Amino acid sequence: KWKGEGTTQNLESIVIGRCYDYIRIVNPAVGEKNCSQIWEAFKNAFIYKDPCSILPEDYELFINLTFHTIPPNKSLFWENNQLLVNSFADRGRRYMSVGDTLFGFVGDFLNWCGQADSPGLDYESCPTTMECENNAVESFWRMASITYAQHSSGVIHVLLNGSADGGAYPQPGFFADYEIPNLQKDKISQIVIWVVDDIEGPDIDSCGVHSVKTLETRLTTLGYDVTCTDNDKSVMFLLCLD
Amino acid sequence: MPLQQGSARMRQRTVLLVGIVVLLAALVLAVVLASLLTHGRHEVSPKMLKWKDRGTTKNLQEVILGRCYNYITAQHPELGDKDCLKIWESLKDAFIYKNPCNITPEDYQPLMELASHPIPCNKSLFWSKTGDLAHRYTKSNQNFLTLEDTLLGYMADRISWCGDPSAPGINYESCPKRNECESNPGSVFWKMASKMFAEAACGVVQVMLNGSVEAGAFRSSSIFGSVEIFNLDPDKVSEVHIWLMQDIGGPQSESCSGHSIQRLISILEERNFKIICEDNYRPVQLLQCVHNPDHTDCRLCTNST
Repeated sequence: KWKGEGTTQNLESIVIGRCYDYIRIVNPAVGEKNCSQIWEAFKNAFIYKDPCSILPEDYELFINLTFHTIPPNKSLFWENNQLLVNSFADRGRRYMSVGDTLFGFVGDFLNWCGQADSPGLDYESCPTTMECENNAVESFWRMASITYAQHSSGVIHVLLNGSADGGAYPQPGFFADYEIPNLQKDKISQIVIWVVDDIEGPDIDSCGVHSVKTLETRLTTLGYDVTCTDNDKSVMFLLCLD
Repeated sequence: MPLQQGSARMRQRTVLLVGIVVLLAALVLAVVLASLLTHGRHEVSPKMLKWKDRGTTKNLQEVILGRCYNYITAQHPELGDKDCLKIWESLKDAFIYKNPCNITPEDYQPLMELASHPIPCNKSLFWSKTGDLAHRYTKSNQNFLTLEDTLLGYMADRISWCGDPSAPGINYESCPKRNECESNPGSVFWKMASKMFAEAACGVVQVMLNGSVEAGAFRSSSIFGSVEIFNLDPDKVSEVHIWLMQDIGGPQSESCSGHSIQRLISILEERNFKIICEDNYRPVQLLQCVHNPDHTDCRLCTNST
């Protein structure tokens, strides 16, 4: 029916388990949360609904229930390098990417969509964003990205993939369309861009060129203090060894 | 005169009434306080044993189930036949209502059987005193698996649990530290899981050791040194690759030519494994440098400006 993968099996157990995992182990500093209530709010955003009619606002209650502050100077935005970001962020200890917030943590790597008939979730297939933009997962991440950007402060970091096809700064993209427009200029002191190549990957994009230049220009024009650093493989091979 | 007597009696009655009301209020308050205090404590049986380490993780069941489903559904669909509910039950049965100093490997046998799964050859990554770095590496390079990347290790990582003979059978307040008793639920679990992880390894295996630790990179008292190296199967494992990692900018306490490494090599060679040792294995060091791009050790060699 749809071109994308169906809803992840055991979605409820996974979401509730992740919620408790987060508040008990990953980041107990966020305090007590009602994980059953959080699951209900998440589910009600899309269950039994037309899978092409879900908007970011449908997740508002979910975001309210899972919200917690993001420590200043810890925000880490990224494109096309999720594995590297996970090791970079070090499970929220060094940085807190959107996937290290409670609201991002419960949804990461999962898939879901509703349907009009019982059981209200479609386990066979879900629409891709090409098929319809207002699908459950896309709207979830749009809402999460907006929230994450709005509550980021201090020095913010952006990790881009210098080996990515089509450029390190993708347009359209979550960072370009949902995060940059929602950054709070008066709360941000500096934007630090890192362009990192895949280990053993090609060096396609770098600071000051192509799409990264576009990004640097856009942010500077918006009035931000911007710096950019390359960490591509050639640099690594020229490391000063003792 | 009669008027004065009447008002005195009224006053007496009022005082009496007020006294009774105050007494009643005090009684009600006492009852409410007593029930609040005991309600808050009803989960902590006064008979439960007290230990020095943190207690069982709250919402243990939800966390374990969630992690199990997460692992077999979202990460490793080839393990789709695993029964997460049964796995949770077998973990719980291993320790609930038991004295947490009397746990045996047999207690965990059903869990180990239900949750174990084969490991592809050449992918096992052992580690000692390099947990953070090893796990960051396997997250960014999925060609290697630590114990904590297998279902058993994934479910139990960073979690604690222990039982107690009195109700409700699980101790959320405290659990025994290793030096209080060795046969505690956590220690017995990790010893068994490590043994099985080593037994399951095949082909070329890797071990990441810390060359910045003063006490030596290889220690016989570690789980690696006491359990894992002795449970590698020489019929299945051909080579052991040692990656000796030093902290960026950290002390260079030991390298591949160091004493403890030589000891490790001789133990392994005696068991007929081929050994290769590499100082600061490059891909892992690249990861260290990605995290410390501004450090002198990671800076570009100046040849031009």
